[in-house]
Amino acid sequence: MPKHFHEIRDPIHVFVRLDTHEREILDSSPFQRLRHIHQLALTYLVYPGASHKRFEHSLGVMELAGRVFDVVTNEQNITDEMRDSLPQLKSKDDLSYWRRVIRAAALCHDIGHLPFSHAAEKELLPDGWDHERLTRKIIDSDHMRPIWDRITPPIRSQDIIKLALGPKKANDLSFADWETILSEIIIGDAFGVDRMDYLLRDSHHVGVAYGHFDHYRLIDTLRLLPAPGDKKGGSHEPALGVEEGGLHSAEALMLARYFMYSQVYFHPVRRIYDIHLKDFLKKWLPSGVFSVEPDEHMKLTDNEVIAGLRESALDGHKEGHIDACVIAKREHFKVLYERNPNDVEINPEAGQSIFGALSAQFGTQYFRRDRYNQRSGAPDFPVRMRNGDAVSSLAVSETLNRVPIVSVDYVFADRSIFSEAEKWLKSNRNEIIQPKLEDENDGST
Amino acid sequence: MDRLRRAALLIRLMEKLREKGSWCGETHVQKAVLFLQDLLRVPLGFQFTLYKHGPFSFDLRDELTSMRADELLRLEPQQPPYGPRIAATPRTERIKNLFRKTLSDYDASINFVAERLGAKGVADLEGLATALYVTQHSGGCWSLDQRSRQITEIKPHISYEDARSATEEVDCYIRQAKEILAHEPAA
Repeated sequence: MPKHFHEIRDPIHVFVRLDTHEREILDSSPFQRLRHIHQLALTYLVYPGASHKRFEHSLGVMELAGRVFDVVTNEQNITDEMRDSLPQLKSKDDLSYWRRVIRAAALCHDIGHLPFSHAAEKELLPDGWDHERLTRKIIDSDHMRPIWDRITPPIRSQDIIKLALGPKKANDLSFADWETILSEIIIGDAFGVDRMDYLLRDSHHVGVAYGHFDHYRLIDTLRLLPAPGDKKGGSHEPALGVEEGGLHSAEALMLARYFMYSQVYFHPVRRIYDIHLKDFLKKWLPSGVFSVEPDEHMKLTDNEVIAGLRESALDGHKEGHIDACVIAKREHFKVLYERNPNDVEINPEAGQSIFGALSAQFGTQYFRRDRYNQRSGAPDFPVRMRNGDAVSSLAVSETLNRVPIVSVDYVFADRSIFSEAEKWLKSNRNEIIQPKLEDENDGST
Repeated sequence: MDRLRRAALLIRLMEKLREKGSWCGETHVQKAVLFLQDLLRVPLGFQFTLYKHGPFSFDLRDELTSMRADELLRLEPQQPPYGPRIAATPRTERIKNLFRKTLSDYDASINFVAERLGAKGVADLEGLATALYVTQHSGGCWSLDQRSRQITEIKPHISYEDARSATEEVDCYIRQAKEILAHEPAA
């Protein structure tokens, strides 16, 4: 008798269960490619355990998306107000269809990732492209469309795209409130299962405890609730929120995010390796950018790049030899300047001024800058209190109000010039970081 | 527009909104910036898409977070059930001083938006912002009725009557804004 359900062992979720249709997605070549894309790029050069791949992360995201969907659509957890706002909640057929879509979207949300994940994305794709646009193209490609058509009832690839990318990245598509909420379940700021899985999984593999939080409790207490408003009234727009009993788990998630970003994802050595890898790829790739054609995209994984990197490091005539050596011999640039509260008070873009001045003084080839600001809003979501009222999370949680925002600004210098540059910067720093009036320099600082 | 110049304009807008009685939470700022940029043509460079309470800019959300990281803005938590208000910190004086000319150039536009939206709540702003979005995306060929129906399709929790009233109000703003636009600096 053929098996209709399959189980896969997983270090985070113990078992990930999938049915035969989902198994087809798993077995497709775009998905199998994720076995060869490191989840955290070259982070394994800093944290040796960080050698896990997008493949298992995607399975984890599917598992959690299914769990959250089942909790928030459970009849016991839905109020009449939400049932009126979201008619899909009243139809078993609709719920069955969308459960399948959300799990497929969760499984596919990363299939457009380039080699080494985010490390090289921005400057190594043609203008207007990012991994989400590639994901969209692959979901709608000949590789995947036959799979969607074989499912009963067939799944619309556009629905998978909406849920996998969300309104930010699929901004040419119109989203119903229901579709927006389902995409939030996967990639949302507050309770997106993409984030939940990567915090837990990265933490496990990296060997740090920062990313742990009680995701069982959090998921069990997630609810569809009206968005909080102001004293002139709310809008009754439905949103993903949490029961009061899950608020501490939600706080733990936000703290886990803060610590993982500040301790792991923005570790300065990890960041400079990303930059060196980008420098290498610009020279190593035939036209300096990745192809956006699905067939070409699927030919290239971390394996081919690692082989190219080793080859270039060993052969002085190969493209990208110098950048490959920097990575292979671990001679990365060192942090010369780091954002700090005193400088930010004088000039929030002090790092830009310092990077510009150093480059002008010594030459751009000796310096790299890495600037990142947290890309999300305040953790403001509805919380249903024990008396039934839905309130803003920031009105009832001291902790959420105090979670710091991650903002980094590093200037790295080549080791060959580091001491000289450091000395020069020490003498000129105070003058360099002073911002200028817009009349003096047309506003640039 | 470079980041700090844009920050100076956002700070001034938030100050003016609060002067006019705005709650000045994130939704209020989002919708006011939509009107400032898309109706008054102030070139802030934010991209709006339909999301929370109508048109929403993820870039603007990220920028407000960055401004909090730079301690230019802070959240003021409120009594339950309400969401927080956003306030400028004393540190913003330095930024405003750097961009006095820019602030003066767009003063009339900022006042226009603050006067009309300052007293509105989230529910009103959701209707008005969605009405502006639908009007601008209809290419000027949809009737009042068509646009009102479109709003109720996008946001089913908004009644037809509220959608129609919001669309009429936006049509009025569009007529009034022409006066300001005639005197604005070129983008």
